[in-house]
Amino acid sequence: MSHLLGDGAATPTATAPESAGAGSAASAVASLDPRIRILAACAFALVTVALDDLLILVIPLMMAGAALIVARLPLGPTLRRLAMMDGFILVLLLMLPFTVPGEPAVTLFGWPASWAGLEQAAAIALKANAILLMLGSLVGSMDPTTLGHALWRLRVPENLVHLLLFTVRYIAVVDAEYRRHRRAMKVRCFRPGTNLHSLRAIGYLVGMMLVRALERSERILQAMKCRGFNGRLVLLDDLCLGRRDILFGVLFAMGLALLPVLEVLHGRAA
Amino acid sequence: MHIVDGVLSAPVLVGGVVLTAGGIALGLRSLTLERVPAAGVLSATFFVATLIHVPVGPSSVHLIMNGLAGLLLSWVAFPALFVGLVLQAVFFGYGGLTVLGVNTLVMALPAVVVGLLFRRLAMSPDGRLAALAGFLAGALGIVLAGSMVALVLWLSGAEFIPIAKFVVLAHVPIALIDGLVCAAAVALIHRVKPELLGTLMLSPRPAPTRRLARQPAP
Amino acid sequence: MAALLELDGVEFAYPQRPPVLRGVSMVLHAGERLAIAGANGAGKSTLLQVLVGLHRPQAGRVIAFGAERRVEADFFDVRRRAGLVFQDPDDQLFCPTVLEDVAFGPLNLGQSREQALATVERVLARVGLDGFRDRVTHKLSGGEKRLVSLAGVLAMEPEVLLLDEPTSALDEETTARLVEILTGLPQAMILVSHDAHFRRRVATRSVRLRDGLLGAPDEVRACAAGGG
Repeated sequence: MSHLLGDGAATPTATAPESAGAGSAASAVASLDPRIRILAACAFALVTVALDDLLILVIPLMMAGAALIVARLPLGPTLRRLAMMDGFILVLLLMLPFTVPGEPAVTLFGWPASWAGLEQAAAIALKANAILLMLGSLVGSMDPTTLGHALWRLRVPENLVHLLLFTVRYIAVVDAEYRRHRRAMKVRCFRPGTNLHSLRAIGYLVGMMLVRALERSERILQAMKCRGFNGRLVLLDDLCLGRRDILFGVLFAMGLALLPVLEVLHGRAA
Repeated sequence: MHIVDGVLSAPVLVGGVVLTAGGIALGLRSLTLERVPAAGVLSATFFVATLIHVPVGPSSVHLIMNGLAGLLLSWVAFPALFVGLVLQAVFFGYGGLTVLGVNTLVMALPAVVVGLLFRRLAMSPDGRLAALAGFLAGALGIVLAGSMVALVLWLSGAEFIPIAKFVVLAHVPIALIDGLVCAAAVALIHRVKPELLGTLMLSPRPAPTRRLARQPAP
Repeated sequence: MAALLELDGVEFAYPQRPPVLRGVSMVLHAGERLAIAGANGAGKSTLLQVLVGLHRPQAGRVIAFGAERRVEADFFDVRRRAGLVFQDPDDQLFCPTVLEDVAFGPLNLGQSREQALATVERVLARVGLDGFRDRVTHKLSGGEKRLVSLAGVLAMEPEVLLLDEPTSALDEETTARLVEILTGLPQAMILVSHDAHFRRRVATRSVRLRDGLLGAPDEVRACAAGGG
């Protein structure tokens, strides 16, 4: 988050793990090839959503927790962000025990909550958190620009990659502009409330930001043309798969392949 | 409104990926590298706009603005919202990975639809009609997005039907708020820089020379 | 003379950066026009923002209009009575038309539509922008934007004006016009400016912010010698 928004609660360098660690200080995750990290996170997500057994689902969560520690992401902020789940997902998880038919576990206000529903809610919570943690640890720990380069090397269409890179480049700029606007509104005693005046002011603000965004992009394009832009953008990177990357990839894939096997074995034993 | 991993059934997830890939492909067709700066700065702005919270009673909701994105970006809304959702999932821990397709689809398809429905009205010379178009686009964008979330939940299992109903209801106040904010935003754009409503729409295909220039890939 | 704004030993640092203000003390009296000079990044804008509570100092006191101000609620009153004009008018002007932008503050203060309209007319006349009310803010020239952003703050009828680099990017003619407007206003004001000529023409007193502390300005000696 601090990568993107620039001046958050902390300065970018304090929380961006890759800029913090040069040489030996870099985390084991940061030294892996970004492409392997992206592919690993995707494979992890696919295997994890396919699992059903609650007990087995604890393993991906533990793997994600381990990745978080190895990636040396700040534990507190990362976990706090996960806890700030969408309100609607919370409602969904809370409602599930009451909407899934099955043997009642407890009865609240005359409504029976089924074991099956509780299990399904728990499975969703485990899967969602494991995948987000792994994604954040493996991919979220890289610079957004690196993410763009790696996606390009993974054959993501060039203009989609450039769209991502431009978006990343200007989020902090637009955010700073937004904050200055809000300060200027604040000193003119604007206190947002649920009323037409506030909604109109916020709408004007969004509209003005979009107008200025377009004009900024016109200047960007002009400046690009002044430097000889002819409809091509070149991405330069020095990504290169090393032995360690391949080793990590193989081990990770083997670990993932083990999960469905374990599930089947556990299912038979039960 | 981001769905997380583990909720939806596999066919729904696959359907979301396929349809979103199609939408992104359509959006990228009109997105020459020359238009990427405009699309990028606008998508950054929409990203920041979704961080704006509007108080509702003691609580608050954040803006979604997919309708406005549809008015300004048309099919480019697909890649732009997709990029936003990727960044949200990777760097903010919102949403999920296997649901990226569905999450993009439920936001971007309504955006494209309201864009097609109301752009003409938004570009009408009368400012009040433009603001009305903004309100309709903003509100309908949310109503449709909420309905699509409900739809994918319903398709994923009978146990989600009560939640799907709740989702539709919960979107009504958000639709009003986004609609009003969007109306003011369109009124301003109409007044200040009407060409913003058509920037990424003109000549949907890149010029042939440029298509040639884009060819060399790794 | 009554003290309007006062800083007492204010220290401020942005998170994880060296301190910008290291014990700044200053007083602004009624009728004064105090100029603050200082190098880029000396903390002049920060000082103005501390005065209206956009940043809370880590040490020291902010006293405004006879009361010490500590929490957000205290500063709401300060912002009504001390109007801050931002360095970049584009940060301030966010409404489509001049009318709406200048009316924004008065409406926030609870004026009715009619009252706000009357205020806008009066203030625009004050800054010499009659007939500008229906202009689109975004299409104004740099100088016009500056004057409209000043009008937007004057519309709140503040007791003190805080001006952050009011002459930046202004031509000589508009600067002269701004000098005329400012010297004609009854409000006490604090001007943060790099423009020595402008400071001399408007300010009644000057200080310099250096190394996080306020001190005597370099030019005072020269000015005093010349009888200015």
